[in-house]
Amino acid sequence: MIQLFHLYKNFGPNIALNDINLRVREGEFVFVSGPSGAGKTTLLRLIFGAERPTSGHILINGINLNRISRLKLDLLRRKIGFVFQDFKLLPAKTVFENVALALEVTGERRSLIRKKTRQSLKLIGLVEKEDAYPLELSGGEQQRVAIARAIVKDPLILLADEPTGNLDPDLTKDIMVLFKSIHMKGATVVIATHSRELLEDTEQVKIFLNRGRIFGER
Amino acid sequence: MRLRLWPYFLRQALGNIMSNRIVHVIGLGTMVVSLLIFGTFLLLLVNLNAWVGEWGHSLTMSVYLQDGISEAERDNIASFIRSLPRAEIKRFVSKEKALTEFRSALGSQAGLLDGLPHNPLPASFEVIFNEGEGQKVDVREIKQDLEKVEGVEEVQYSEEWLHRFESLMKMIRLVGLVIGGLLCMGVLFIVMNTIKLTIYSRKEEIEILKLVGATDWFVKIPFMLEGMIQGILSGVLALVILFSAYLFISTEKMHFLDLAVFDFVFIPNEYALSILLLSVALGLVGSFIAVGRFFKV
Repeated sequence: MIQLFHLYKNFGPNIALNDINLRVREGEFVFVSGPSGAGKTTLLRLIFGAERPTSGHILINGINLNRISRLKLDLLRRKIGFVFQDFKLLPAKTVFENVALALEVTGERRSLIRKKTRQSLKLIGLVEKEDAYPLELSGGEQQRVAIARAIVKDPLILLADEPTGNLDPDLTKDIMVLFKSIHMKGATVVIATHSRELLEDTEQVKIFLNRGRIFGER
Repeated sequence: MRLRLWPYFLRQALGNIMSNRIVHVIGLGTMVVSLLIFGTFLLLLVNLNAWVGEWGHSLTMSVYLQDGISEAERDNIASFIRSLPRAEIKRFVSKEKALTEFRSALGSQAGLLDGLPHNPLPASFEVIFNEGEGQKVDVREIKQDLEKVEGVEEVQYSEEWLHRFESLMKMIRLVGLVIGGLLCMGVLFIVMNTIKLTIYSRKEEIEILKLVGATDWFVKIPFMLEGMIQGILSGVLALVILFSAYLFISTEKMHFLDLAVFDFVFIPNEYALSILLLSVALGLVGSFIAVGRFFKV
C-alpha cells in the first residue's frame, strides 16, 4: 500500500529525513514515533504528497508520487484522510461545513454529503455542535472535527499527525477506538505520535524515528 | 466539471463578492468609469459619423459661369444641372447680386470695392444634391462633366472641407482605438487585482481545499465566475448610465445648445452588446490570469 525507497528530504542545509525505507501493507495499523523534530510530520506530508522528496521514491498503491500529475495527485488525495496537527479548520465555516468540504470537492450529491457528514459527526460525538464555528470549540473538539473531516470520505489510507495531542486520557481512548474501528473497516492507518502512553497500550506496528532516520521497528 | 458543482461554484463566487464587498465596489466603480469613457467616446463617434454623413449627402456646389454668355447658353447649363441625379438648383446668382452680397459681407470694408473698374465676380448657379436612396453622388465626376459644358468657368464644392473632416474622423477613430486599448488594459488590471485580493483573503481555504483533494479547476472556477460577475455588473451599469445620460442630453441640452437640427442617436444595439461582451470577457480573462499566477506559485 505505502512503499518508501531511499527517501531523503532536506530543508536547506537541514536534513529532515535520511534514507528512509519503509513498507506499510494494506490494512496495517502503524505508529510512527520519535521525539519532536524526528521527522514524523515530514514523513506523513511526503506520503500525502504535500511535500516533494529531495530524492528517493514514494509509492502509494503502486503509483509513484514523483511521476504523478497534479490532477492525479488531487484525485489520490481523495482516498487519503489526513488529520493535521494544527487541525487546519476554516474559522469562517461551521463544523458541518468544515467536515462536508472533503466531500464537496468530489462533486457528490448534496443529499449524500449531508448524510455522510452527519454520520461522521455522530461518530466523533459532535453532531449537536454542527452549527458551531471552530473557534467556539475546545482544542479537543477541534481535533475531533479534524478527524471527522479525514474519515468522512471513507479513506483507504488514514494519516494522523499527533491526533491525541490535545486530548485528555479519556478522549484519547475514545479517539483510538475510533481509529481502530476505521482500521477494522479496511483502512490502512498511520499515526505519528510522541505519546508513550499511546504506544504502551497498543499491539500495533511501531516505527521509531530519530534525527530523520528509522532506528527501530517493532 | 460536474453539472451539480455549478451551484456550489456560484455560491462560492457570490460569497467571495459579499465577503470582499469594499474591494469589489471599488473595482466595479473603476471598471464602470472606464467603460463609460469608452462608451461616451463610441457615442460621440457614432453621432459625428452620422452628422458628417448627413452633410456629405446634402452637398452644395457652386457652378461659376463665364462672363458674357448668352441666355441660351445659361439655360443649357441649367438644364444640364437639372438632369443630374438628385441635383436641384437652389438659386441663380447674377454678377450684380454676387457683388452686392460680397459688398454686404465686407461690411465696413465695402469701400474697397468702389475703386474697381468693372465687376470681377462671375455669375453662378448654387446647386444642392439631396439625400436619397441608391448610389452615392460622385461629386468629382459631376464637377468634371460640368466643367466641359460650354459657358462654365469653374465648379467648386465643399470638397476640401469634407476631406479635412474625414481626415479628422480618421484621427478620432484612431485616438478612440488607442484610448479603448488602454482602457481595456486598465480594466484587465483592475479585475486581476480585485481577484488577486480575494484569492489572498481565501489563501487558507484554498490550501485546505487542495489538501482534501480539490482539483485546480475546482478552486479556480469560483474566482473566474467572480470576475465574470464583475464584468457583467460593470457592463450593465455602464450601459444604463450611458443611456440615461444620452436621454438627458438628447431631450434637454441639444435644444439648449441650439443643436436640435442634428439627430442625436444612441449607440447601435450591436455596439452596446459589444461593450457588455467586452466587459464580461475582460472580467473572465483578468480573473483567469490572476488565478493562473496564483497556482504557478
